[in-house]
Amino acid sequence: MSHFLLNTVGWIPLYALIGSLGALPWSPGVTRKTGPRPAGYINALMTLLAFLHSLGALIAIWGQSAYTVEVTWLQVADLRLGIPIMVSSVTLGACLLVTGLNLLAQIFGFGYMEMDWGWARFYALLGLFEGGMCALVLCDSLFFSYMILEILTLGTYLLVGLWFNQPLVVTGARDAFLTKRVGDLFLLMGVLAIYPLTGTWNFSELAQWAETAQVDPALMTWVGLALLAGPMGKCAQFPLHLWLDEAMEGPLPSTILRNSVVVATGAWVLVKLEPVFALSPTVHWVVIGIGLVTAIGGSLVAMAQIDIKRALSYSVSAYMGLTFIAVGCGQPDLALQLVLTYAVAMALLVMSVGGVIWNSITQDLRQYGGLWSRRPISGLSFVVGAVGMLACPPLGTFWVLVQLADQISVYYPWLAALLVGINGLTAFSLMRVFSLIWGGKPKQMTERSPEIHWPMALPMTILLGFTVHVPMLLASWNLLPDFQLVTHPVGILLIISNAVGIGLAGLIFLNERIQKPLQLRFITDLQDLLAQDFYTQQLYRASVVWVVDWISQAVAYLDRVLVDGLVNLVGVLSVFSGQTLKYTVSGQSQLYLLAIPLGVILIILVAFGSI
Amino acid sequence: MLSGLLWIPIVGATLLGFWPGSLTFQQTRRLGLVFATGLTVWTVFLFGQFDLTQGGLQMREFMPWIPMLGMNYELGVDGLSLPLLAVNSGLTWIAIYGTGEKLIRPRLFYSLLLLVNGAVAGAFLAQNALLFFLFYEIELVPFYLLISIWGGPRRGYAAIKFLLYTAVSGILMLAGFLGLFWLADLPSFDYQTLQSQVLPLGSQMVLLLTLLVAFGIKIPLVPFHTWLPDAYTEASAPVAMILGGVLAKLGTYGLVRFCLGFFPDAWSALAPNLSIWAVVCVLGGAFAAIAQKDIKRMVAYSSVGHMGYVLLGCAAATPLSIVGAIAQMVSHGFVLALLFHLVGVIEEKVGTRELDVLNGLLNPIRGLPMISGLLILGGMASAGIPGLVAFVAEFLVFQGSYSIFPLQTILCVVGTGLTAVYFVILLNRTCFGKLDNKTAYYPQVMGWEQTPAILLTLVIFILGVQPNWLVKWSEPFSYQLSTHTPQLVSHWIPPVMGKKLENTPIMIAEDPLL
Repeated sequence: MSHFLLNTVGWIPLYALIGSLGALPWSPGVTRKTGPRPAGYINALMTLLAFLHSLGALIAIWGQSAYTVEVTWLQVADLRLGIPIMVSSVTLGACLLVTGLNLLAQIFGFGYMEMDWGWARFYALLGLFEGGMCALVLCDSLFFSYMILEILTLGTYLLVGLWFNQPLVVTGARDAFLTKRVGDLFLLMGVLAIYPLTGTWNFSELAQWAETAQVDPALMTWVGLALLAGPMGKCAQFPLHLWLDEAMEGPLPSTILRNSVVVATGAWVLVKLEPVFALSPTVHWVVIGIGLVTAIGGSLVAMAQIDIKRALSYSVSAYMGLTFIAVGCGQPDLALQLVLTYAVAMALLVMSVGGVIWNSITQDLRQYGGLWSRRPISGLSFVVGAVGMLACPPLGTFWVLVQLADQISVYYPWLAALLVGINGLTAFSLMRVFSLIWGGKPKQMTERSPEIHWPMALPMTILLGFTVHVPMLLASWNLLPDFQLVTHPVGILLIISNAVGIGLAGLIFLNERIQKPLQLRFITDLQDLLAQDFYTQQLYRASVVWVVDWISQAVAYLDRVLVDGLVNLVGVLSVFSGQTLKYTVSGQSQLYLLAIPLGVILIILVAFGSI
Repeated sequence: MLSGLLWIPIVGATLLGFWPGSLTFQQTRRLGLVFATGLTVWTVFLFGQFDLTQGGLQMREFMPWIPMLGMNYELGVDGLSLPLLAVNSGLTWIAIYGTGEKLIRPRLFYSLLLLVNGAVAGAFLAQNALLFFLFYEIELVPFYLLISIWGGPRRGYAAIKFLLYTAVSGILMLAGFLGLFWLADLPSFDYQTLQSQVLPLGSQMVLLLTLLVAFGIKIPLVPFHTWLPDAYTEASAPVAMILGGVLAKLGTYGLVRFCLGFFPDAWSALAPNLSIWAVVCVLGGAFAAIAQKDIKRMVAYSSVGHMGYVLLGCAAATPLSIVGAIAQMVSHGFVLALLFHLVGVIEEKVGTRELDVLNGLLNPIRGLPMISGLLILGGMASAGIPGLVAFVAEFLVFQGSYSIFPLQTILCVVGTGLTAVYFVILLNRTCFGKLDNKTAYYPQVMGWEQTPAILLTLVIFILGVQPNWLVKWSEPFSYQLSTHTPQLVSHWIPPVMGKKLENTPIMIAEDPLL
């Protein structure tokens, strides 16, 4: 049985894809009798199969060494492309995380999308995402990773655009697609450029190559930067981060996945490419720099958002920034662990606020308050999710961040200090969201806001339990550091940063005497700057969008007026000359006879003249 | 055997055109379909007979015709023409299948369509330059009629423009062939004789440039492209499908067969400039498409950009890039046909092609959900999303060209990004958004209108997932062609690009973390 499960690991992505196709017949235009719900049930069933398969395979591979199976995909000229399927406890563990979170999100969707008619499309796309992500973690090839990332970019476009009636959704889908595509195309350039150097796209062979490679660092810098752009787009890093904010217009169950695992696809590729980035010091510093800018910027912007989902989405960018820092500092394993602990906690946070949004009808934080007495389970989930995401012992992320900060502090104490600061900022913004929703007195929108029904409550509580147990999972993988790190200065600083962030936010936002929404009298501009995400959208519009628009108008104008105009001019001239010449035709034969010798003389003159 | 592809449609065209009795529309369509199906089956049969190990011509047929002119009836097929023949037969079937009762003068229409098919097949099969020229010109007249009888409001202008441009292209081509024949003093016009020329580089260059302009008009390449938006837009959907999917391929076919095949030395001398030309086409087409307000025009301009990739692949002339260029011809044929069909259905049902008017067609009840869904897929295929056939073709071109022209290749990659921009504009306006309830009383989309789109989508999808079925036919041919062409080295990027440095110590050891 275990052999069978391991030999058929390649099926794991297929379950979801079958589910995805199976959902389509329940589109409103096709099936009229049953309603759209079977689409969801089919997908959940297939996801369950994929989950069980991953679980069985993980148990089978436990303690054994990793191996790779290759399936030929395309063989042409001197290019041979096989799909290498990497079977290891890490890849199968990642599959388990992806399918598990998918299953929970799909069940959550049963409740959240109760009144929606778009189940077929929605679940088909969730299935596509699940299949794509499983394929991404299983395949050990840069080329196929690129392919999958591109397909997921299309998936994002359609999933964000699910409710395509609304203008904000339409622009959000567009921006998500184009921003990610920019990153993908740079990645494609890197993919094209690296092959002549290495002769392979397999990650493991790339890593081997990088150990002994003797390439020009300047060249590797360019290649590395191009490769970096793909993960930047996926992980919503500055300056390609805007899409994640706009993607919050999409349906919430997909946000659970997007915020937790979909963005992490970029981090996964980043981790896999770490040996290649290591060839150029410049790229390493760029990775750290981008991660740092995003982590600080993202956590600052998150504090100023009034939309619940957006407040969380900027923390997503910030945490992906932390994984960038980890990779940049040569700690890819810690980056992966961070992705795990973060993904679980973030999914829980989104589920918790998702339920609240669902029957409070609003996403505006300013209209919330006093839900603790009405929705204790959601509140508890939020607390556990927040604790799991922050560097708060004893939950998961603490153990990862403390190791990361510890490693970094040896060489770059300032970077470790910034890490602590970022954690404090995130603590502040999560506590702010919590206080505004669950603290204070009920407002108009939260007067009648009971706890949600089981399809949403069940996955939320399961995930709550799982989040609490993440440290045990880490322990069973032997990933937990020495407990004494808690009393290490870095550990203490992280704990203090939590306390400061949470305490400060609590003081401000649980305090009834402070007028809310908070108006900072002296720094309104700063507040606006953060609330508007450093005016990124306006910057885009004034730069890239403007340039492309201007050039295309100019090209179209040239095309119409110059090129086509010239052609039409030739046409008009020939018609005109014909019209004019016809009056020279009088019918007198003398004229024709005269014309012939004249012509001959002309030709002779020209001929001799040229000699 | 090959003659079948040439004569089945001509017999069909004659029968349909001159059958004495009267035929109802459905009878005419069914008769047309019978011939088209026969053609398709015949093509599939040829695929079965094709020997994959050979790069040269196969299944040759020879019959002396006018030997003193050096013109003979010579047919043959190789890895370049076989996939294009498949596109020709397949798209003709789909074009005939996808026409409805509203068609006026159906007998003439189908007869002309079959005639075009026969002439194009003849051009792809011909192994004699004069024979090629003959078929190239034969196709012109029925196509002029197809545009000018069944086209949109400005069909007269568009048809004349198409006719004049293509006639000029034909004259230049003939001049090129005759020039080669006389200058090299060759006994006949058959390809192998012409290929054996040993002209000085200067005369080669002149002839090559003549032919480049000739085929550049047909493909079309910037700046010879202005007949395209008019002709593609004014032609009815099935005609546009054939025009963009098949006829334009005569140009790219000529590019590979004659320009690259006959003048390899001059070609590689010119290749760096050609690759820049390719970039101009890709970017020019894409930028012009972004500015369009008419979805059919937008799709038409996308064609200009996509033909640039073919030029890039041919300019690099590595085995991989040539396979990619041929794959791009095929994939572009199918994708463009799909897009034109869908745009045609939308125009038919909604009554407009204006981007600013169209809205919300993805609406599952009152919109055109199936058509919109396929339009998203077609647009994404055109934008080069993996899993669909266009990606494979573009990727092979890029990977094959990168080692020769790195900078140009990267600029063409930027072009695919711009393609995504205008398709997102198109899809956002057409499929997304709120359907206007006052106007949304669209006629139902019939099964026969959906079937062509579904079939094309299946082809695009299957070849995208299983690209071996697309590329294996042209691989030996590409090897052969590439070995005949002097190999280029990268000119535009300092030699350090693409070259591993020897014995240079890596300089990153000082940083403790790295």
